[in-house]
Amino acid sequence: MTPTGRRLTRRSFLARALAAGVATPVLAEALAACGSQLYTSGELVIASPDKPVRWPLSHQHPVIESGQTPKPGGTLRLYNYADYLSPGVLKDFEKQYDVDISVSTFNDTDEALTKIASGAVSYDIYFPSYDQIAKLVTADLLRPLNHDYIPNIDNLWSQFQNPWYDQGWQYSVPYTVYTTGIGWRTDMVSEDISQRDNPYDAFWDPQYKGNLAIIDDWHTAMAMVALRAGIDDVNTGNASDLATLRDQLMQMGQTTNPKVTITMYNDLPVGQYGLAQMWSGDVVNAVYYLPKDTPASLLRYWFPTDGRGLVDNDLMVVLGTGTNPVAAHVFINYMLDPAVAAKNFGFIGYQPPQVSISPRRLVADGFVPPNLETAAVLPEYFRNGYRLLEMPPTEDGQWHEIWQEFKANG
Amino acid sequence: MSTTLAVRRAEQATAERSSNRLSHWWSSPRRKPWVLASVTMLYIVWSLLPVLIAVLFSFNAGRSRTTWQGFSTKWYYGDPLRSVWHDDSLHTALVHTLRLGVVVTVITVPLGVLLALGLDRWRGRLPSGANFVMLLSFVIPETLLAVAFLFMVTQLTWLPMRLGLSGQVVGLITFQLSYPTIIVRSRLLTIGKQYEEAAVDLGATPIGAIRRVLLPMLLPAIFASTVLVFADVVDDFVLVRYLSGDASTEPVSVKIYNTARAAPTPALNALASLILLTSFLAITIGYLAYRRLNVADHGSSTVGTFAGEV
Amino acid sequence: MADRAPNVRRVRLIWPVVALPGIAWLALFFIAPLYVVLAILFGQIDPILRQAVPVWNPVDWNVIQFKYVLTHIVGERGYFGPALIRTAVYVAVASVSCLLIAYPVAYFTGRCAGRWKGLLLALLIAPFWISYMMRMLAWVNLLQNDGLVNKAASLGGLFDVHVDWLAGHSSTVVLGLVYGYVPYMILPLFAGLDRIPGSTLEAARDLGASRFQTFLRVTWPMSRQAVVTSMLLTCLPMLGDYFTTDLLSGSPSTSMVGNLINNSVLTPGQTGQAAAFVMIVLIVSIVPMLVYVRASREGEDMRI
Repeated sequence: MTPTGRRLTRRSFLARALAAGVATPVLAEALAACGSQLYTSGELVIASPDKPVRWPLSHQHPVIESGQTPKPGGTLRLYNYADYLSPGVLKDFEKQYDVDISVSTFNDTDEALTKIASGAVSYDIYFPSYDQIAKLVTADLLRPLNHDYIPNIDNLWSQFQNPWYDQGWQYSVPYTVYTTGIGWRTDMVSEDISQRDNPYDAFWDPQYKGNLAIIDDWHTAMAMVALRAGIDDVNTGNASDLATLRDQLMQMGQTTNPKVTITMYNDLPVGQYGLAQMWSGDVVNAVYYLPKDTPASLLRYWFPTDGRGLVDNDLMVVLGTGTNPVAAHVFINYMLDPAVAAKNFGFIGYQPPQVSISPRRLVADGFVPPNLETAAVLPEYFRNGYRLLEMPPTEDGQWHEIWQEFKANG
Repeated sequence: MSTTLAVRRAEQATAERSSNRLSHWWSSPRRKPWVLASVTMLYIVWSLLPVLIAVLFSFNAGRSRTTWQGFSTKWYYGDPLRSVWHDDSLHTALVHTLRLGVVVTVITVPLGVLLALGLDRWRGRLPSGANFVMLLSFVIPETLLAVAFLFMVTQLTWLPMRLGLSGQVVGLITFQLSYPTIIVRSRLLTIGKQYEEAAVDLGATPIGAIRRVLLPMLLPAIFASTVLVFADVVDDFVLVRYLSGDASTEPVSVKIYNTARAAPTPALNALASLILLTSFLAITIGYLAYRRLNVADHGSSTVGTFAGEV
Repeated sequence: MADRAPNVRRVRLIWPVVALPGIAWLALFFIAPLYVVLAILFGQIDPILRQAVPVWNPVDWNVIQFKYVLTHIVGERGYFGPALIRTAVYVAVASVSCLLIAYPVAYFTGRCAGRWKGLLLALLIAPFWISYMMRMLAWVNLLQNDGLVNKAASLGGLFDVHVDWLAGHSSTVVLGLVYGYVPYMILPLFAGLDRIPGSTLEAARDLGASRFQTFLRVTWPMSRQAVVTSMLLTCLPMLGDYFTTDLLSGSPSTSMVGNLINNSVLTPGQTGQAAAFVMIVLIVSIVPMLVYVRASREGEDMRI
């Protein structure tokens, strides 16, 4: 290229600017004609145990007709966490109904909701917690359930037959119940965490630096920070509470450098670390991931005996854009069958709220080893426990920002 | 007397030489480069041993990936639930990976070869700008392109590409296009224009000149890029992960990533070993074919060009 | 001779046609996605779902999200800053280490290996073909608490070695980066060193230059171009890496800019920030590319 050729003359610059000025809006208009607009408007209604909500029915996605059977050879697409469904149960279902099941996994429900809302993916069943149900309904992403297909709802604890987060269970069926507590190994942690005045303090104890992990979910992890700081409202929007939360979270990062992950059920048994914030189901599941020479008796789990800890449940919902809603209904009913639920529980470690599974008899029935009796989820926990509720957009943004700061920095 | 003197002198010289031998040896330009040789050997061991160990553990009889519990092929075939053969999700991943490799290679290589021809022979502002964009697509972090593509596919839902196979194919072609282009171009630089112009002179049509004269000369480079693109697509992770739609469009690398962070069994090692085997098969076949094609052409380093020496 | 000119002109006319599909492809699938990134960066956020809503017309662009990112890099709440600095340090340390390993190896293979050259090269290329994930998986296995590294270090139980390699150490991550990217460094270096004519080096030695002098005065200057190329080819892809630290550490204390992007892309309300980081890293990658292309144009033909 010659030196003169490289220099932009004034005239050619003007000509180019003009061309660009004309071209860009035209292109932009063309794109805008087909692009997306805002998905939603208005207020987000937040359900809570004190304020039960009955959601309006979907405009776009009608309830399916009763009495149909799944198309033979069709595919049922599930969207779930990894290792959160028993492969054996899926195979049984495939055989019984001649339906192929494909399971796609997500790392956290934020990611899942973003993908679902974009419309770029279509799954039949999604396994969220109730902290997304308002968003899912407001954005009209769910298909209301036809109860005719789901008689097995009667097998569930009565409180789940008309839950506060979805009165009349129009959109959702509970999948599992779980508490969030602390798991540890007695060979890597010498003290009994449950004997501490405030067991959560362990996560700020320098002696465990590099030897612990917290759950990679902004709300779950930060709610623990709140509980440690004595903030009982784990959905707080209060500015000074949030400031405390932030300070303590950063302080934890600096003093103990925790891993942030959701794979405790594997990492704890193989000794990647000795102490972890854990879901009750994961500590039960961890037993199956122990190496041969490691006895299950060294696992421990703490959850406040008065039930004043984090208690939640996950759901199964049918997505509006799914292509196989009939099979989805049949599958949901299948999962609520006592024998199936027990088999699934045996694999994933997360307890279904089935009447047939007695929480007080989990040890006797062989679901849980005696040293993990604390991981049983009792119905009364749901009276005193704290829930991770959906948050209004502003608060949601503030919590996320703190979490982002923590994740960027450590 | 004179003989003893001569002997003494010779002895002296030998002693001198031996005392100097070490420093002399060190500074001799003909010295064997032992240090470099050992660094190279160490490097090769360091780079390959972990992978060999990972392959070895795919034959472990137990589920541990750190403690050897005897030889078995259960993770390939034996285990009725979790072996590569029996776990649907694992062989779906394998099949999907190979499908991506073939489809992307078949489209990318011709596109790249044509682009290389055009960019090399056509002079002007547009081609040099396009050349820069092409080089940029070669070096920018893959994550950037992947995120940009994810945005495009999820926002412009009227596009024919979706998350899944179609999105992955288009994304990978874009990312891989620069490989054949650069390899073929570096070959074109050594060929010069005289050939096709001579052919045209002799009455060939332009297309005929490209097809009959230029393409045969470029064949080694085209071959090299085919193998390179295939192996690279099979290994790709960042793009295919962002653009995967559901479980059926998650290739092996994504499967490894997802499972390595959760609860892997040696079946994962088995899966990775199979992909490794595929890559090496493709390369060996490619290499042999390449040597055959390239017999007449005693280039400086056949392996080098083949390896994507760019 | 009369028909020579038109025919040659015709063969010249064909090049734009031949180049067109590729150029169109790049414009459509490389430039256009980058425009979508801009539309999201300067776009809106849905009030309830807090998903990114792109704004296509530049006239309506708003800079709130970009400003948010920029103001959070330095200053009182500059929490992105440390991750950016960390990325720069990791990439610098890792790529210099790569060079320190790759140069002698490439030099030996290119210049001294003799008849072993083919075999050595094949071995050097091997990791290039083995999937990055597979190689990381191999290290994750080796570095477990009961993994072979600790077992080897304890010499069969002689010592009690318990290094938590995977507990969020910068050194493990940098090691992983070096291991992962060294092959990309070796190949271009080898190509460059292999191109130096042996006769030049012979001449230097015959003129009495020592080994070291030969290297300093001849080999190094002649390979500088290859060094720059290979550094570029290693550093730039490393800038977007998030999976290495994810697999080998998983702790926020080793987050890189790739993690900032990966964490925020699908997080409600933060997608625009991911777009901002994409643009920042893109600019950081374009600048050395421009310098490089210009520099090599002034030399002979451009070779990457």
